[in-house]
Amino acid sequence: MKSNAQAVRTSKVRKFIYSNNTVGHVFAAPFIFGFICFSLIPILTSFYYAFTDYSLGSKTSEIVGGRNFAMLLTDDIFLQSLGITLKYVFISVPLKLAFALFVAFLLTRKSRLVTLYRSLYYVPSLVGGSVAVALVWKQLFARKGLFNSVLSDAGFSTINWFGDTKLALWPLILMSVWQFGSSMIIFAAGLKEIPTSYYEAAEIDGANGFQKFFRITLPCLSPIVLYNLVMQTISAFMAFTQAFIITQGGPNNSTMMYSLYVYNQAFKYNNMGYACAMSWFMLVVMSVITLIIFKTSKMWVFSEAGE
Amino acid sequence: MSVKHKIQKVLYHLFVIIFGIIMIYPVFWMISGSFKDNAEILRGTLGLIPENLKISNYSTGWKGFSGITFATFFKNSFLITSVATLGTVISSSLVAYALSRVRFKGRKLWFTCMLATMMLPSQVIMIPSFLIWYNLGLSSTYVPLILPYFCGQAFFIYQMMQFMAGIPRELDEAATIDGCSKYSIYTHIIVPLLKPSIVTTIIIQFYWKWDDYMGPLLYLSKPQSYTASLAIKLFADSASTTDYGAMFAMSTLSLIPVFLIFLFFNRYLVEGIGTSGLKG
Amino acid sequence: MKKKLISILMTAGMILSLAACGNDAGGQESSTGGDTGSTQQSETSSEASTSQESSTAPEADGEQVTLRMAWWGSQTRHDITVEVIEMYEKDHPNVKIEYEFFSFDDYFTKLKTLQASDQVWDIFQLGGNFPMYMDKICFMDEFIDSGIVDVSDIPEAYLQITQDIEGHQIGLSNGLNTYGIAYDVDMFNEAGVPLPTDNWTWDDYADAAMKIMEKTGHYGSSKFSDEFIAGCSTYIGQQGKVGEYGFFNLDLTGMGFDDPSMLEGYIQMRADLINAGASPDAGAEMEITNIENDFLVTGEAGMTWVAVNQFPTIYDICKAEGRTLALATLPRVSADGPSGAVIQSSQMLCVSQDSEHKEEAAAFISWFQNSVECNQVLQGERGIPVNNTVRDSLKANLTEGQQIMYDFVDLIGTFDVPEKVNVLSPDGQDQVVDKYRNYIQDVAAGNMTAADAAQKTYDDAAAIFNK
Repeated sequence: MKSNAQAVRTSKVRKFIYSNNTVGHVFAAPFIFGFICFSLIPILTSFYYAFTDYSLGSKTSEIVGGRNFAMLLTDDIFLQSLGITLKYVFISVPLKLAFALFVAFLLTRKSRLVTLYRSLYYVPSLVGGSVAVALVWKQLFARKGLFNSVLSDAGFSTINWFGDTKLALWPLILMSVWQFGSSMIIFAAGLKEIPTSYYEAAEIDGANGFQKFFRITLPCLSPIVLYNLVMQTISAFMAFTQAFIITQGGPNNSTMMYSLYVYNQAFKYNNMGYACAMSWFMLVVMSVITLIIFKTSKMWVFSEAGE
Repeated sequence: MSVKHKIQKVLYHLFVIIFGIIMIYPVFWMISGSFKDNAEILRGTLGLIPENLKISNYSTGWKGFSGITFATFFKNSFLITSVATLGTVISSSLVAYALSRVRFKGRKLWFTCMLATMMLPSQVIMIPSFLIWYNLGLSSTYVPLILPYFCGQAFFIYQMMQFMAGIPRELDEAATIDGCSKYSIYTHIIVPLLKPSIVTTIIIQFYWKWDDYMGPLLYLSKPQSYTASLAIKLFADSASTTDYGAMFAMSTLSLIPVFLIFLFFNRYLVEGIGTSGLKG
Repeated sequence: MKKKLISILMTAGMILSLAACGNDAGGQESSTGGDTGSTQQSETSSEASTSQESSTAPEADGEQVTLRMAWWGSQTRHDITVEVIEMYEKDHPNVKIEYEFFSFDDYFTKLKTLQASDQVWDIFQLGGNFPMYMDKICFMDEFIDSGIVDVSDIPEAYLQITQDIEGHQIGLSNGLNTYGIAYDVDMFNEAGVPLPTDNWTWDDYADAAMKIMEKTGHYGSSKFSDEFIAGCSTYIGQQGKVGEYGFFNLDLTGMGFDDPSMLEGYIQMRADLINAGASPDAGAEMEITNIENDFLVTGEAGMTWVAVNQFPTIYDICKAEGRTLALATLPRVSADGPSGAVIQSSQMLCVSQDSEHKEEAAAFISWFQNSVECNQVLQGERGIPVNNTVRDSLKANLTEGQQIMYDFVDLIGTFDVPEKVNVLSPDGQDQVVDKYRNYIQDVAAGNMTAADAAQKTYDDAAAIFNK
């Protein structure tokens, strides 16, 4: 009788320990802990600041209601930076992914050298954030830089990249595309997972290279494409370093990415409250775009883990 | 092998090499800059061969600042980076498993929270975060630079989830029938099959952390505890003279560990996949 | 489920906003402490900082004191500053100085976080952008009165460059500075342009720039790195009688002039020079990362705007290439009008309001500025020292470039200056400065007239005071 009750209890305990809810929370515990301690509080603080005129300089703050948000809509520079950021995202992300996939695919051949090649192509990403490379990049697009000397040798007129408000964003876009390394290795790892039997079967059916790529590679890779797309979109929205080091937002605010403007408002112009409001506005914009990607992904992602 | 095949092969390698060299030309420029003197660097010549070889950039750079050499800075970087990377791998794989394989209450909520953490620019949460660590009395230690990495990194959690989506659920079901619990499915099935993703995480997290200087800038308050990335930034002072040669020299050195990690794990990445049970 | 979540979030939010309010109240307290004057400061702040340590009697002799100090600069500056810190520690065994150093931009990011958490270094370095940190600065008057800080050998004029309008000593200057136009003598001669005189005008300047461009094919004038100081502060100050106008008024409560069209001349001139190719456009300007690769130094321009403490460096670089640079005063609006030039502080050392050992910190600053032995190591790397004896001791062995700089500062000292100058600038000026720069580019590109640009600049600046 007694042992029976004990058995019931232990089986209850066992059931509790092995239930989905417990397992889920045990495994997710590090994140839940970290999120609450290190993310939630700063995020809520910034949300609170968005409704105040908090500034780091004076440290006084008064609640100003929605004034910061109303100001956003009349701030020409903000509206301009919103446009620039969207342009940057919509151009650089697809280019970067296409390029990363192309190189990853190029390097799937069975050859000992491939590992070395992949390392070679990865180097740009390793140095991405360094001041030295930003300097090099500036030199490349300078009036007498490499790009222009190639142009003039070929008989074209040179281009004043950083002097023209219509062109200045392009060097930054190219720099982002150039750092395709992390997307590339994720693609590479994904490509390796595609069972070779699929290709063998396709070859028997007489498929050519293009057909194999579009019928097998791309669909099999689609969850990874989705992942890279989401990640690169988010990080492109946050792009800061290049604009900060290379152009400082110039000429005439034509490379004033929104995160750079946030930084300027928070640290340079001393309007932390306004900077927070801007971030929250952009958070909504980003969420909407991410949501659209997720919703449409159901149409083109082939996942074995379907809900 | 036919002649046509051989030509194709040569063309392939030629293309990949030339293309690759173009891609890393800027990096070569930086390395060659580490052997040039300041005037030549500032003139912005695009050639790679220094006019007068200046190896002393390395010795002036290495001697660091006020008697603290780059040996100290590199050691600090190495410590922080390796511990943080280890933390990321362990915690992110745990969390990714929970979010992608276990149906528990609140799963969707935490997934949304995770994505949201990536969307707020760090500039606005920097100060509130700093204040939290300050109030905990930990603001000038290594803890703020390391502990958060043991709580899962959204970028990698999501990446691992994506990879787990590719691991057939039948494997889990078969294991359950064999008497495996959800816990042992993680250790016996998921982790071994997750190898490529883990390796990717190690590579990316290592150089992110290695390059990070905002964190060290905010939380380290003694030159003895500076990391290499922070120390390199010390050369680039916009308000006075900048020793570009020394900066390029130390940037070049700082590239080596990252590159080695990549080389080592990249090989492993390929092998790891080769032996995985996904082929059939 | 959803409702529960929302309620949890809301409670969390409330707790948080309460906490934030608590913080703010603390911040306000300490800032009012700063405003009320210097006599009560040390009391207020030592009360506020009881949480850290309970040692409230740092004055006691022989007691071990640890000071925190920070600065920005280059490798050379870090090395020599650490060297003098060690000298000081040797002479004062009870004082230990923990130091941190950064590059310029990083220094201010770090300072802002420390400001937010009320733990600014005991001794810290500030440049021209200090109004933002005003409530963290402990005025030095009380230490001067009590003799801890010795100013007997520093001329009154050089003390004033780091005083606010009420005469509070904000800090002690590390070095004198002023602005000038550096030019390439040979390029002027080649173009057949007369060399600048002490009272040349902006018209002379524009003429020279155009002629150099036409004759040599180079830029007449390189980038104006302080466009706002040139076109607003200086240009306005040069109009009317000495001290009649300023861009802002003296007590920083509003504008110092009424007619926006007073700004027009400069804007139009700069836009014309850019359009004619006599001055670099935005793209070319971007290639200049610091003074060492300015177009004047690379031989692509005849003139450039400099802060004079930058002059010795570029003089040496050009000399090594066989070219001679010289230094001219800033051009004036009219040859017999005010010069608009002011001797300023390049940077200063301040005592922090958060410090628990303010007196020891002040004592160190006093030694740093007054000790000949210390400055023999520092070698005027931060600018021309303010202490007479120190300055004389360094004058003995100057390089050519340094000699020109010293003479130039002496020359500016002989000009008529307004009785009162406000060395502060209002919070919010940075945004006006950035916009002003863009307006000039807009005028050059033909998107805007100079009159519009002047009006907009005036409105932007006036808006600071209506916040």
